[in-house]
Amino acid sequence: MSTFAAAQAPIGRARLNSKVMKSTEAADKKAQIHEFEQQALPLMPQLYGAALRWTRNPADAEDLVQEAMAKAFIAWGQFQQGTNLKAWLYRIMTNTHINMYNKRAKDQAKGSIDALEEWQLGEAESVTALSSRSAELEAIDNLPSTTVKNALNEIPEEFRMVVYYAVVDGLPYAEIAEIMDTPVGTVMSRLHRGKKLLKKLLADYAASEGYDVSGQNQESK
Amino acid sequence: MAEFDCEETKRHVHEYLHNELSDAEIADITAHIANCDSCEGDYDVENALNNAIARACGDMPPAELAVRIMGRIRDIQSGTAH
Repeated sequence: MSTFAAAQAPIGRARLNSKVMKSTEAADKKAQIHEFEQQALPLMPQLYGAALRWTRNPADAEDLVQEAMAKAFIAWGQFQQGTNLKAWLYRIMTNTHINMYNKRAKDQAKGSIDALEEWQLGEAESVTALSSRSAELEAIDNLPSTTVKNALNEIPEEFRMVVYYAVVDGLPYAEIAEIMDTPVGTVMSRLHRGKKLLKKLLADYAASEGYDVSGQNQESK
Repeated sequence: MAEFDCEETKRHVHEYLHNELSDAEIADITAHIANCDSCEGDYDVENALNNAIARACGDMPPAELAVRIMGRIRDIQSGTAH
């Protein structure tokens, strides 16, 4: 009986301690969720925009964002307050995407996209002569969003994401380099090449609609 | 004060539009395109393309995605899911 009571006592105290600990732990957890909700969640729509470019469809984009946000929350303690949260979240999403789609292995098998030859990028450099420049600008302004999105979806994803980060998100090259884990020079060349490919695709579309965006055949139409 | 010729000006179009050049380079290029219709045309086209791209990429996530994410995060925190 007395041995039983003695054995009980420490358990009782331990229970009490763990109860106290649990309540401060619960408060910490609550504070952490609150912090994440205040800081990271407002950036979620921007992550979604980028996720949509990665995955090219809304359902996968939602999965990717959700997965990336969950990973970000688990790693929240490692985020240094005062540093660039958006870049941190983007980097997590890049890694999440690579893991989810097992991209890295595929990329290595395929060889680097940056090694694409100029001829593979096609000719879209020449711009119309003065007489048709306003028509060209008008044609670009009138491009339907679905056409632009389709063209974006067609170019290699490394180019697509750099174009997205630079043009839509307005991120500086250095930040894009950090997010994509590449040198700044690679960001620069991917942007140039990505824009060139887009221009070619969109020129083809515009030509099919009767516009001339290529600079060739200025006599026609 | 390196004068920018057409080739160099055209080559720097993205860096110019994305504000990745020094003030001196920006001044040189600005001066060049003010006097060169061909380069100005190139810059206008790239700029118009950027606007078209930005316009096309304005999709917003569905409203309930934020709710779903926070639900997932509460689950993680309470240890019921990962």
